[in-house]
Amino acid sequence: MPIFQSNDFKSAALGVAVLIAALLPHVASATLGEPETTVQTDVALAHASIKSSEDRTGYRVHEIQLPSGTVMREFVAPNGNVFAVAWQGPTRPDLRQALGQYFGAFASAPRSKFSDRRHVQIQQGDLVLQSGGHMRALSGRAYLQSAIPSGVNLGDLH
Amino acid sequence: MVSMRALKMGLCALLCLSAIACGGSDGTSGGGTPPPPPANTANTASVIIDGGPSASSGSVNTLFTSVTVCVPGSTTSCQTIDHIQVDTGSYGLRLLAPVLTLTLPVETLASGGSLAECTQFVDGFSWGPIATADIQIAGETAKSVPVQVIGDSRFTNIPTECSGTGGTEEDTVSTFGANGILGIGPFESDCGDCDTATHGLYFACTTSCTDTTVPDNLQIPNPVTHFAVDNNGTIVVLPSVAAGGASNVMGSLIFGIDTQSDNASGTQTVLTVDDNAELLVMFNGQTFANSFIDSGSNGIFFADSSITTCTAPPSDPTSQIVNFYCPASTLTLPVTIQGMNGTMTNNLTFGVGNAITMLNDNPSFDAFPQLAGTLPAGNAGSFDYGLPFFYGKRVAIAVQGAMTTVGTGPYIAF
Repeated sequence: MPIFQSNDFKSAALGVAVLIAALLPHVASATLGEPETTVQTDVALAHASIKSSEDRTGYRVHEIQLPSGTVMREFVAPNGNVFAVAWQGPTRPDLRQALGQYFGAFASAPRSKFSDRRHVQIQQGDLVLQSGGHMRALSGRAYLQSAIPSGVNLGDLH
Repeated sequence: MVSMRALKMGLCALLCLSAIACGGSDGTSGGGTPPPPPANTANTASVIIDGGPSASSGSVNTLFTSVTVCVPGSTTSCQTIDHIQVDTGSYGLRLLAPVLTLTLPVETLASGGSLAECTQFVDGFSWGPIATADIQIAGETAKSVPVQVIGDSRFTNIPTECSGTGGTEEDTVSTFGANGILGIGPFESDCGDCDTATHGLYFACTTSCTDTTVPDNLQIPNPVTHFAVDNNGTIVVLPSVAAGGASNVMGSLIFGIDTQSDNASGTQTVLTVDDNAELLVMFNGQTFANSFIDSGSNGIFFADSSITTCTAPPSDPTSQIVNFYCPASTLTLPVTIQGMNGTMTNNLTFGVGNAITMLNDNPSFDAFPQLAGTLPAGNAGSFDYGLPFFYGKRVAIAVQGAMTTVGTGPYIAF
Protein backbone atom coordinates (compact mmCIF):
# COMPACT_ATOMS: atom_id res chain seq x y z
CA MET A 1 0.00 0.00 0.00
CA PRO A 2 1.53 3.31 -1.07
CA ILE A 3 2.34 5.55 1.82
CA PHE A 4 0.38 8.42 0.26
CA GLN A 5 -2.90 6.73 1.11
CA SER A 6 -2.15 6.66 4.79
CA ASN A 7 -4.71 8.68 6.74
CA ASP A 8 -1.97 9.88 9.04
CA PHE A 9 -0.15 11.31 6.10
CA LYS A 10 -3.30 12.97 4.81
CA SER A 11 -3.87 14.60 8.17
CA ALA A 12 -0.30 15.77 8.29
CA ALA A 13 -0.54 17.11 4.75
CA LEU A 14 -3.76 18.91 5.59
CA GLY A 15 -2.11 20.40 8.65
CA VAL A 16 0.77 21.63 6.53
CA ALA A 17 -1.68 23.07 4.00
CA VAL A 18 -3.54 24.94 6.72
CA LEU A 19 -0.25 26.20 8.11
CA ILE A 20 0.83 27.39 4.67
CA ALA A 21 -2.52 29.11 4.21
CA ALA A 22 -2.04 30.85 7.54
CA LEU A 23 1.47 31.96 6.68
CA LEU A 24 0.59 33.09 3.16
CA PRO A 25 -2.60 35.08 3.46
CA HIS A 26 -3.01 35.36 -0.28
CA VAL A 27 -2.42 31.80 -1.32
CA ALA A 28 -4.81 31.11 -4.20
CA SER A 29 -8.06 29.72 -2.90
CA ALA A 30 -10.83 30.99 -5.06
CA THR A 31 -14.35 31.62 -3.96
CA LEU A 32 -16.57 32.68 -6.86
CA GLY A 33 -17.31 29.57 -8.90
CA GLU A 34 -15.65 27.34 -6.32
CA PRO A 35 -17.11 24.93 -3.76
CA GLU A 36 -18.76 26.19 -0.60
CA THR A 37 -15.84 25.01 1.51
CA THR A 38 -13.88 28.00 0.21
CA VAL A 39 -16.25 30.21 2.18
CA GLN A 40 -14.53 28.86 5.28
CA THR A 41 -11.17 29.60 3.68
CA ASP A 42 -12.26 33.20 3.12
CA VAL A 43 -13.35 33.48 6.71
CA ALA A 44 -10.10 32.04 8.05
CA LEU A 45 -7.85 34.10 5.80
CA ALA A 46 -9.64 37.36 6.55
CA HIS A 47 -9.73 36.75 10.33
CA ALA A 48 -13.45 37.25 9.90
CA SER A 49 -16.50 35.56 11.32
CA ILE A 50 -19.62 34.12 9.76
CA LYS A 51 -22.38 36.35 11.07
CA SER A 52 -25.18 34.21 9.72
CA SER A 53 -25.93 31.42 7.27
CA GLU A 54 -29.40 31.48 5.83
CA ASP A 55 -31.16 29.02 3.57
CA ARG A 56 -33.29 30.85 1.05
CA THR A 57 -35.44 29.34 -1.67
CA GLY A 58 -32.98 27.84 -4.13
CA TYR A 59 -29.73 28.91 -2.49
CA ARG A 60 -27.86 29.59 0.76
CA VAL A 61 -26.27 32.87 1.92
CA HIS A 62 -23.30 33.18 4.25
CA GLU A 63 -22.89 36.63 5.72
CA ILE A 64 -19.31 37.31 6.71
CA GLN A 65 -18.35 40.16 9.03
CA LEU A 66 -14.87 41.45 8.23
CA PRO A 67 -12.74 43.22 10.88
CA SER A 68 -12.69 46.31 8.63
CA GLY A 69 -16.41 46.78 9.20
CA THR A 70 -17.31 45.58 5.74
CA VAL A 71 -19.91 42.84 5.36
CA MET A 72 -19.47 40.26 2.62
CA ARG A 73 -22.15 37.83 1.46
CA GLU A 74 -21.43 34.66 -0.43
CA PHE A 75 -24.27 32.94 -2.28
CA VAL A 76 -24.15 29.16 -2.67
CA ALA A 77 -26.14 27.20 -5.25
CA PRO A 78 -27.68 23.75 -4.59
CA ASN A 79 -24.73 22.17 -6.42
CA GLY A 80 -22.49 23.51 -3.65
CA ASN A 81 -20.71 26.18 -5.67
CA VAL A 82 -20.51 29.89 -4.90
CA PHE A 83 -22.36 31.72 -7.69
CA ALA A 84 -22.28 35.26 -6.34
CA VAL A 85 -20.47 37.45 -3.81
CA ALA A 86 -21.54 40.86 -2.58
CA TRP A 87 -19.99 43.44 -0.28
CA GLN A 88 -20.94 46.63 1.53
CA GLY A 89 -18.91 48.79 3.88
CA PRO A 90 -16.19 51.40 4.27
CA THR A 91 -13.70 49.46 2.14
CA ARG A 92 -13.73 46.55 -0.29
CA PRO A 93 -12.92 43.05 0.90
CA ASP A 94 -10.01 41.07 -0.52
CA LEU A 95 -11.50 40.61 -3.96
CA ARG A 96 -8.46 38.76 -5.23
CA GLN A 97 -9.49 36.08 -2.78
CA ALA A 98 -13.25 36.39 -3.22
CA LEU A 99 -13.29 36.56 -7.02
CA GLY A 100 -10.52 34.06 -7.56
CA GLN A 101 -9.98 33.39 -11.26
CA TYR A 102 -12.37 36.23 -12.15
CA PHE A 103 -10.40 38.91 -10.30
CA GLY A 104 -8.49 39.95 -13.41
CA ALA A 105 -11.64 41.13 -15.20
CA PHE A 106 -12.19 43.83 -12.55
CA ALA A 107 -8.54 44.79 -12.41
CA SER A 108 -8.36 45.39 -16.15
CA ALA A 109 -11.50 47.49 -16.66
CA PRO A 110 -10.41 50.43 -18.84
CA ARG A 111 -10.99 54.08 -18.00
CA SER A 112 -12.91 56.14 -20.56
CA LYS A 113 -14.39 59.57 -21.03
CA PHE A 114 -17.56 58.31 -19.34
CA SER A 115 -15.82 56.98 -16.23
CA ASP A 116 -16.16 58.54 -12.83
CA ARG A 117 -15.05 57.16 -9.48
CA ARG A 118 -18.49 56.00 -8.45
CA HIS A 119 -19.55 53.26 -10.84
CA VAL A 120 -18.31 50.06 -12.33
CA GLN A 121 -20.30 47.68 -14.47
CA ILE A 122 -18.36 44.92 -16.13
CA GLN A 123 -19.67 42.06 -18.20
CA GLN A 124 -16.94 39.77 -19.40
CA GLY A 125 -17.78 36.26 -20.46
CA ASP A 126 -19.77 34.65 -17.67
CA LEU A 127 -18.86 37.29 -15.10
CA VAL A 128 -20.96 40.32 -14.17
CA LEU A 129 -19.40 42.76 -11.70
CA GLN A 130 -21.27 45.86 -10.54
CA SER A 131 -20.23 48.35 -7.92
CA GLY A 132 -21.24 51.78 -6.67
CA GLY A 133 -21.05 54.15 -3.73
CA HIS A 134 -18.54 56.74 -2.59
CA MET A 135 -15.63 57.12 -0.19
CA ARG A 136 -16.43 55.53 3.21
CA ALA A 137 -19.43 53.62 1.75
CA LEU A 138 -18.70 51.20 -1.07
CA SER A 139 -20.90 48.36 -2.25
CA GLY A 140 -20.88 45.88 -5.07
CA ARG A 141 -21.47 42.38 -6.27
CA ALA A 142 -20.14 39.85 -8.73
CA TYR A 143 -21.93 36.82 -10.10
CA LEU A 144 -21.61 34.13 -12.72
CA GLN A 145 -24.54 34.34 -15.10
CA SER A 146 -24.56 30.67 -16.00
CA ALA A 147 -24.39 29.56 -12.39
CA ILE A 148 -27.42 31.39 -11.03
CA PRO A 149 -29.93 28.79 -9.83
CA SER A 150 -33.30 29.01 -11.53
CA GLY A 151 -35.82 31.22 -9.80
CA VAL A 152 -33.26 33.47 -8.10
CA ASN A 153 -34.08 37.17 -8.31
CA LEU A 154 -30.97 39.17 -9.22
CA GLY A 155 -32.27 42.00 -7.06
CA ASP A 156 -31.84 39.80 -3.98
CA LEU A 157 -28.11 39.39 -4.58
CA HIS A 158 -26.65 42.20 -2.51
CA MET B 1 -38.11 90.89 -10.29
CA VAL B 2 -38.55 93.04 -7.22
CA SER B 3 -37.00 90.46 -4.97
CA MET B 4 -34.09 89.94 -7.37
CA ARG B 5 -33.47 93.66 -7.43
CA ALA B 6 -33.71 93.87 -3.68
CA LEU B 7 -31.25 91.04 -3.43
CA LYS B 8 -28.78 92.80 -5.69
CA MET B 9 -29.15 96.02 -3.73
CA GLY B 10 -28.61 94.10 -0.53
CA LEU B 11 -25.50 92.50 -1.92
CA CYS B 12 -24.24 95.92 -3.01
CA ALA B 13 -24.89 97.30 0.43
CA LEU B 14 -22.95 94.48 2.01
CA LEU B 15 -20.02 94.92 -0.35
CA CYS B 16 -20.01 98.68 0.26
CA LEU B 17 -20.13 98.14 4.00
CA SER B 18 -17.24 95.75 3.92
CA ALA B 19 -15.25 98.15 1.73
CA ILE B 20 -15.86 100.93 4.23
CA ALA B 21 -14.86 98.69 7.08
CA CYS B 22 -11.59 97.90 5.34
CA GLY B 23 -11.03 101.53 4.38
CA GLY B 24 -11.50 102.55 7.96
CA SER B 25 -8.86 100.25 9.29
CA ASP B 26 -6.26 103.01 9.24
CA GLY B 27 -7.71 104.31 12.46
CA THR B 28 -9.34 107.48 11.13
CA SER B 29 -12.88 106.30 11.35
CA GLY B 30 -13.62 106.82 14.99
CA GLY B 31 -12.31 107.52 18.44
CA GLY B 32 -9.95 105.20 20.26
CA THR B 33 -8.07 102.26 18.87
CA PRO B 34 -10.10 100.62 16.13
CA PRO B 35 -10.57 96.90 16.22
CA PRO B 36 -8.36 95.04 13.81
CA PRO B 37 -9.99 94.69 10.41
CA PRO B 38 -11.60 91.37 9.61
CA ALA B 39 -9.21 89.07 7.84
CA ASN B 40 -9.56 90.11 4.26
CA THR B 41 -9.74 86.60 2.82
CA ALA B 42 -10.73 86.05 -0.74
CA ASN B 43 -12.78 82.97 0.02
CA THR B 44 -13.86 82.13 -3.49
CA ALA B 45 -12.08 79.92 -6.00
CA SER B 46 -13.22 79.62 -9.58
CA VAL B 47 -14.21 76.20 -10.84
CA ILE B 48 -14.72 74.84 -14.34
CA ILE B 49 -16.30 71.86 -16.04
CA ASP B 50 -14.11 71.06 -19.00
CA GLY B 51 -12.56 68.03 -20.63
CA GLY B 52 -9.91 67.56 -17.96
CA PRO B 53 -6.12 67.61 -18.22
CA SER B 54 -4.71 66.98 -21.67
CA ALA B 55 -3.00 63.82 -20.47
CA SER B 56 -6.36 62.25 -19.67
CA SER B 57 -8.85 60.57 -21.96
CA GLY B 58 -11.35 63.36 -21.38
CA SER B 59 -14.31 63.59 -19.06
CA VAL B 60 -17.90 64.75 -18.81
CA ASN B 61 -19.62 66.51 -15.91
CA THR B 62 -16.37 66.73 -13.97
CA LEU B 63 -15.68 69.80 -11.86
CA PHE B 64 -12.12 71.16 -11.55
CA THR B 65 -10.27 73.90 -9.70
CA SER B 66 -6.67 74.96 -9.09
CA VAL B 67 -4.79 74.46 -5.85
CA THR B 68 -1.46 75.88 -4.70
CA VAL B 69 0.72 73.68 -2.51
CA CYS B 70 3.97 74.62 -0.82
CA VAL B 71 6.63 72.74 1.07
CA PRO B 72 5.56 73.39 4.69
CA GLY B 73 6.86 76.72 5.93
CA SER B 74 8.15 77.83 2.53
CA THR B 75 6.79 80.74 0.52
CA THR B 76 8.96 80.00 -2.48
CA SER B 77 8.82 76.22 -2.92
CA CYS B 78 5.27 76.35 -4.17
CA GLN B 79 3.33 75.06 -7.14
CA THR B 80 -0.10 75.83 -8.50
CA ILE B 81 -1.75 72.77 -10.02
CA ASP B 82 -4.75 73.01 -12.31
CA HIS B 83 -7.40 70.39 -13.01
CA ILE B 84 -7.82 69.27 -9.44
CA GLN B 85 -11.22 67.58 -9.32
CA VAL B 86 -13.68 69.08 -6.84
CA ASP B 87 -15.36 66.11 -5.17
CA THR B 88 -18.04 66.39 -2.50
CA GLY B 89 -18.11 62.57 -2.26
CA SER B 90 -14.60 62.09 -0.90
CA TYR B 91 -12.25 63.61 1.63
CA GLY B 92 -8.79 65.07 1.32
CA LEU B 93 -6.38 66.61 -1.14
CA ARG B 94 -4.61 64.06 -3.33
CA LEU B 95 -2.07 65.04 -5.96
CA LEU B 96 -0.70 63.03 -8.86
CA ALA B 97 3.05 62.71 -8.41
CA PRO B 98 3.79 62.99 -12.16
CA VAL B 99 2.59 66.62 -12.16
CA LEU B 100 4.05 67.54 -8.76
CA THR B 101 7.41 69.29 -9.09
CA LEU B 102 7.89 69.77 -5.33
CA THR B 103 9.30 67.25 -2.92
CA LEU B 104 6.87 67.16 -0.05
CA PRO B 105 8.01 65.56 3.23
CA VAL B 106 6.45 62.17 3.87
CA GLU B 107 4.80 61.57 7.25
CA THR B 108 6.56 59.24 9.64
CA LEU B 109 4.74 57.17 12.23
CA ALA B 110 5.89 57.18 15.85
CA SER B 111 6.24 53.42 15.59
CA GLY B 112 8.64 53.86 12.67
CA GLY B 113 8.01 53.69 8.98
CA SER B 114 6.57 56.06 6.46
CA LEU B 115 2.84 56.47 6.10
CA ALA B 116 1.16 55.55 2.82
CA GLU B 117 -2.42 55.07 1.78
CA CYS B 118 -4.41 52.79 -0.47
CA THR B 119 -7.29 55.05 -1.44
CA GLN B 120 -10.26 53.08 -2.64
CA PHE B 121 -12.59 54.47 -5.24
CA VAL B 122 -15.45 52.41 -6.65
CA ASP B 123 -13.59 51.72 -9.88
CA GLY B 124 -10.14 51.11 -8.43
CA PHE B 125 -7.47 52.31 -6.08
CA SER B 126 -4.72 54.93 -5.84
CA TRP B 127 -1.51 54.25 -3.93
CA GLY B 128 1.00 56.68 -2.52
CA PRO B 129 2.54 58.23 0.59
CA ILE B 130 0.96 60.74 2.92
CA ALA B 131 3.00 63.93 2.86
CA THR B 132 2.47 67.32 4.42
CA ALA B 133 1.95 70.54 2.51
CA ASP B 134 0.84 74.10 3.05
CA ILE B 135 -2.28 74.53 0.95
CA GLN B 136 -3.64 77.68 -0.62
CA ILE B 137 -6.93 77.85 -2.50
CA ALA B 138 -8.10 81.31 -3.50
CA GLY B 139 -7.11 83.36 -0.43
CA GLU B 140 -7.54 80.53 2.05
CA THR B 141 -4.54 78.82 3.58
CA ALA B 142 -3.97 75.71 5.65
CA LYS B 143 -0.59 74.84 7.13
CA SER B 144 1.12 71.44 7.25
CA VAL B 145 -1.87 69.46 6.06
CA PRO B 146 -1.62 65.73 5.33
CA VAL B 147 -2.12 65.15 1.59
CA GLN B 148 -1.63 62.05 -0.52
CA VAL B 149 0.96 61.95 -3.28
CA ILE B 150 -0.49 59.39 -5.69
CA GLY B 151 1.92 57.39 -7.79
CA ASP B 152 5.04 58.61 -5.97
CA SER B 153 8.12 57.02 -7.50
CA ARG B 154 9.56 56.50 -4.01
CA PHE B 155 6.68 54.13 -3.17
CA THR B 156 6.33 51.69 -6.01
CA ASN B 157 5.72 48.45 -4.12
CA ILE B 158 1.96 48.31 -3.84
CA PRO B 159 0.97 45.90 -1.06
CA THR B 160 -1.10 42.92 -2.17
CA GLU B 161 -3.74 43.97 0.38
CA CYS B 162 -4.13 47.16 -1.67
CA SER B 163 -4.11 45.76 -5.19
CA GLY B 164 -6.30 42.90 -3.93
CA THR B 165 -9.19 45.30 -3.41
CA GLY B 166 -9.45 45.28 -7.16
CA GLY B 167 -10.19 47.62 -10.00
CA THR B 168 -7.91 49.87 -11.96
CA GLU B 169 -4.67 51.13 -10.48
CA GLU B 170 -5.17 54.90 -10.85
CA ASP B 171 -1.71 56.27 -10.25
CA THR B 172 -1.16 58.36 -13.40
CA VAL B 173 -3.00 61.40 -14.77
CA SER B 174 -4.28 59.23 -17.60
CA THR B 175 -5.73 56.53 -15.36
CA PHE B 176 -6.88 59.00 -12.69
CA GLY B 177 -8.45 61.47 -15.12
CA ALA B 178 -7.26 64.53 -13.18
CA ASN B 179 -4.11 66.10 -11.78
CA GLY B 180 -5.47 65.55 -8.32
CA ILE B 181 -8.65 65.57 -6.30
CA LEU B 182 -9.99 67.90 -3.62
CA GLY B 183 -12.34 65.92 -1.40
CA ILE B 184 -14.68 68.32 0.41
CA GLY B 185 -17.40 65.98 1.66
CA PRO B 186 -19.23 66.73 4.92
CA PHE B 187 -16.83 64.93 7.27
CA GLU B 188 -13.41 65.84 8.58
CA SER B 189 -11.40 62.88 7.33
CA ASP B 190 -11.29 60.03 4.84
CA CYS B 191 -11.71 57.40 7.56
CA GLY B 192 -14.02 57.38 10.53
CA ASP B 193 -12.00 55.25 12.93
CA CYS B 194 -8.56 54.60 11.45
CA ASP B 195 -7.04 55.66 14.77
CA THR B 196 -8.31 52.45 16.34
CA ALA B 197 -9.07 50.08 13.45
CA THR B 198 -7.31 48.96 10.30
CA HIS B 199 -9.25 49.00 7.05
CA GLY B 200 -6.60 48.33 4.45
CA LEU B 201 -6.38 52.08 3.90
CA TYR B 202 -3.31 53.28 5.79
CA PHE B 203 0.00 51.41 5.66
CA ALA B 204 3.25 51.73 7.57
CA CYS B 205 6.13 51.28 5.12
CA THR B 206 9.71 50.30 5.84
CA THR B 207 11.10 47.71 3.46
CA SER B 208 7.53 46.56 2.95
CA CYS B 209 4.18 48.03 3.91
CA THR B 210 1.74 46.73 6.49
CA ASP B 211 -1.81 47.75 7.38
CA THR B 212 -1.76 50.15 10.32
CA THR B 213 -3.82 52.36 12.57
CA VAL B 214 -3.06 56.08 12.37
CA PRO B 215 -3.43 58.93 14.87
CA ASP B 216 -6.15 61.36 13.75
CA ASN B 217 -3.71 64.20 13.12
CA LEU B 218 -1.78 62.16 10.54
CA GLN B 219 -4.86 61.09 8.57
CA ILE B 220 -5.93 62.85 5.39
CA PRO B 221 -8.44 65.59 6.28
CA ASN B 222 -10.91 67.53 4.23
CA PRO B 223 -8.44 70.45 3.87
CA VAL B 224 -11.19 73.04 4.27
CA THR B 225 -11.47 72.03 7.92
CA HIS B 226 -7.82 73.08 8.34
CA PHE B 227 -8.24 76.56 6.89
CA ALA B 228 -7.51 79.35 9.38
CA VAL B 229 -10.98 80.80 8.71
CA ASP B 230 -14.01 79.88 6.60
CA ASN B 231 -13.47 76.27 7.64
CA ASN B 232 -16.97 74.97 8.42
CA GLY B 233 -18.00 74.00 4.92
CA THR B 234 -18.15 74.95 1.28
CA ILE B 235 -20.65 76.29 -1.22
CA VAL B 236 -20.60 75.20 -4.87
CA VAL B 237 -22.25 77.69 -7.22
CA LEU B 238 -22.83 76.66 -10.82
CA PRO B 239 -24.94 78.31 -13.53
CA SER B 240 -27.81 76.63 -15.28
CA VAL B 241 -26.73 74.68 -18.33
CA ALA B 242 -28.83 74.28 -21.48
CA ALA B 243 -30.52 70.90 -21.79
CA GLY B 244 -28.29 69.91 -24.69
CA GLY B 245 -25.13 70.72 -22.76
CA ALA B 246 -22.32 73.27 -22.88
CA SER B 247 -18.55 73.50 -22.81
CA ASN B 248 -16.27 75.15 -20.27
CA VAL B 249 -18.98 75.96 -17.74
CA MET B 250 -17.55 78.13 -14.96
CA GLY B 251 -18.69 78.63 -11.39
CA SER B 252 -17.51 79.32 -7.87
CA LEU B 253 -16.31 77.35 -4.89
CA ILE B 254 -16.95 79.49 -1.83
CA PHE B 255 -15.35 78.55 1.49
CA GLY B 256 -17.17 78.89 4.77
CA ILE B 257 -20.86 79.14 5.58
CA ASP B 258 -22.14 82.24 7.40
CA THR B 259 -18.58 83.42 7.97
CA GLN B 260 -18.46 86.23 5.39
CA SER B 261 -20.91 88.47 3.57
CA ASP B 262 -20.75 86.28 0.48
CA ASN B 263 -21.51 82.94 2.12
CA ALA B 264 -24.53 83.79 4.25
CA SER B 265 -27.29 81.22 4.50
CA GLY B 266 -30.68 82.27 3.23
CA THR B 267 -33.93 80.42 3.04
CA GLN B 268 -32.64 77.29 1.41
CA THR B 269 -33.69 73.73 2.03
CA VAL B 270 -31.42 72.10 4.63
CA LEU B 271 -31.11 68.31 4.44
CA THR B 272 -28.98 66.64 7.09
CA VAL B 273 -27.09 63.48 6.11
CA ASP B 274 -26.28 60.29 8.00
CA ASP B 275 -22.94 58.83 9.08
CA ASN B 276 -22.28 57.80 5.48
CA ALA B 277 -23.12 61.27 4.12
CA GLU B 278 -26.30 59.75 2.72
CA LEU B 279 -29.98 60.67 2.72
CA LEU B 280 -33.28 59.41 1.28
CA VAL B 281 -34.52 59.72 -2.28
CA MET B 282 -38.08 58.90 -3.25
CA PHE B 283 -38.35 58.06 -6.92
CA ASN B 284 -40.71 56.00 -9.02
CA GLY B 285 -42.70 54.85 -6.00
CA GLN B 286 -39.64 53.59 -4.17
CA THR B 287 -37.54 54.96 -1.32
CA PHE B 288 -33.79 54.70 -1.76
CA ALA B 289 -32.25 54.94 1.70
CA ASN B 290 -28.57 54.99 0.69
CA SER B 291 -28.74 57.93 -1.66
CA PHE B 292 -26.30 60.77 -2.05
CA ILE B 293 -25.75 64.11 -3.77
CA ASP B 294 -22.23 64.12 -5.14
CA SER B 295 -20.20 66.43 -7.39
CA GLY B 296 -17.91 63.46 -8.11
CA SER B 297 -20.59 61.48 -9.96
CA ASN B 298 -20.75 62.44 -13.61
CA GLY B 299 -24.47 61.86 -14.07
CA ILE B 300 -27.73 61.00 -12.36
CA PHE B 301 -27.65 57.30 -11.55
CA PHE B 302 -30.65 55.18 -10.63
CA ALA B 303 -32.32 51.92 -11.56
CA ASP B 304 -35.33 52.19 -13.87
CA SER B 305 -35.78 49.26 -16.20
CA SER B 306 -38.45 51.15 -18.15
CA ILE B 307 -35.89 53.56 -19.64
CA THR B 308 -33.93 52.39 -22.68
CA THR B 309 -30.20 52.13 -22.13
CA CYS B 310 -27.66 53.12 -24.79
CA THR B 311 -26.19 50.70 -27.30
CA ALA B 312 -22.45 50.70 -27.85
CA PRO B 313 -21.46 52.03 -31.28
CA PRO B 314 -19.91 49.46 -33.65
CA SER B 315 -16.69 51.49 -33.58
CA ASP B 316 -16.39 51.01 -29.82
CA PRO B 317 -18.17 47.78 -28.84
CA THR B 318 -16.93 47.83 -25.22
CA SER B 319 -17.90 51.47 -24.62
CA GLN B 320 -19.17 52.23 -21.14
CA ILE B 321 -21.87 54.33 -22.78
CA VAL B 322 -24.06 51.24 -22.39
CA ASN B 323 -24.44 52.13 -18.72
CA PHE B 324 -26.19 55.41 -19.59
CA TYR B 325 -29.80 56.01 -20.61
CA CYS B 326 -30.82 56.71 -24.20
CA PRO B 327 -34.59 57.37 -24.20
CA ALA B 328 -36.20 58.15 -27.57
CA SER B 329 -37.21 61.55 -26.27
CA THR B 330 -36.18 63.54 -23.22
CA LEU B 331 -37.92 62.52 -20.01
CA THR B 332 -38.79 64.83 -17.15
CA LEU B 333 -39.05 62.84 -13.94
CA PRO B 334 -40.18 63.89 -10.47
CA VAL B 335 -37.98 63.12 -7.50
CA THR B 336 -38.11 63.94 -3.79
CA ILE B 337 -35.04 64.16 -1.58
CA GLN B 338 -35.43 63.85 2.17
CA GLY B 339 -32.82 64.65 4.79
CA MET B 340 -32.32 62.70 7.98
CA ASN B 341 -33.97 65.70 9.67
CA GLY B 342 -37.19 64.88 7.80
CA THR B 343 -37.05 67.94 5.55
CA MET B 344 -38.11 67.20 1.99
CA THR B 345 -37.64 68.95 -1.33
CA ASN B 346 -40.68 70.31 -3.16
CA ASN B 347 -41.53 69.93 -6.85
CA LEU B 348 -38.06 68.80 -7.86
CA THR B 349 -37.71 67.23 -11.30
CA PHE B 350 -34.77 66.17 -13.43
CA GLY B 351 -34.33 65.51 -17.13
CA VAL B 352 -33.04 62.36 -18.76
CA GLY B 353 -31.76 62.96 -22.28
CA ASN B 354 -30.44 60.55 -24.86
CA ALA B 355 -26.77 60.25 -23.90
CA ILE B 356 -25.55 59.23 -27.35
CA THR B 357 -27.49 62.00 -29.09
CA MET B 358 -26.22 64.62 -26.64
CA LEU B 359 -22.62 63.51 -27.00
CA ASN B 360 -22.77 63.11 -30.78
CA ASP B 361 -24.54 66.41 -31.41
CA ASN B 362 -21.84 68.37 -29.60
CA PRO B 363 -18.67 66.33 -29.17
CA SER B 364 -16.86 69.35 -27.71
CA PHE B 365 -19.32 69.73 -24.84
CA ASP B 366 -18.41 68.47 -21.38
CA ALA B 367 -21.33 69.63 -19.21
CA PHE B 368 -24.57 67.70 -19.64
CA PRO B 369 -27.38 68.37 -17.16
CA GLN B 370 -29.51 65.53 -18.53
CA LEU B 371 -26.89 62.80 -18.53
CA ALA B 372 -28.27 59.86 -16.55
CA GLY B 373 -27.26 56.26 -16.14
CA THR B 374 -28.12 52.94 -14.64
CA LEU B 375 -27.41 51.72 -11.17
CA PRO B 376 -27.53 47.94 -10.96
CA ALA B 377 -30.10 46.34 -8.74
CA GLY B 378 -27.20 45.01 -6.65
CA ASN B 379 -26.78 48.54 -5.36
CA ALA B 380 -30.43 48.55 -4.38
CA GLY B 381 -31.32 51.39 -2.09
CA SER B 382 -29.19 53.98 -3.82
CA PHE B 383 -29.97 56.99 -5.99
CA ASP B 384 -26.75 58.75 -6.95
CA TYR B 385 -27.51 62.37 -7.83
CA GLY B 386 -24.30 63.62 -9.40
CA LEU B 387 -23.01 66.88 -10.80
CA PRO B 388 -26.20 67.64 -12.80
CA PHE B 389 -27.84 68.33 -9.43
CA PHE B 390 -25.50 71.29 -8.94
CA TYR B 391 -26.31 73.07 -12.22
CA GLY B 392 -28.29 76.24 -11.60
CA LYS B 393 -27.93 75.89 -7.85
CA ARG B 394 -26.00 77.20 -4.91
CA VAL B 395 -25.24 74.07 -2.88
CA ALA B 396 -23.77 74.32 0.62
CA ILE B 397 -22.03 71.35 2.24
CA ALA B 398 -21.65 71.87 5.99
CA VAL B 399 -19.05 69.75 7.73
CA GLN B 400 -20.01 67.58 10.69
CA GLY B 401 -20.35 69.75 13.78
CA ALA B 402 -20.43 73.03 11.86
CA MET B 403 -22.97 75.41 13.37
CA THR B 404 -24.49 77.79 10.88
CA THR B 405 -27.53 80.02 11.08
CA VAL B 406 -29.67 77.30 9.50
CA GLY B 407 -28.45 74.14 11.19
CA THR B 408 -25.66 71.89 12.33
CA GLY B 409 -23.57 69.82 9.94
CA PRO B 410 -23.30 67.38 8.38
CA TYR B 411 -25.85 68.77 5.98
CA ILE B 412 -26.36 69.74 2.38
CA ALA B 413 -28.44 72.85 1.62
CA PHE B 414 -29.62 74.47 -1.59
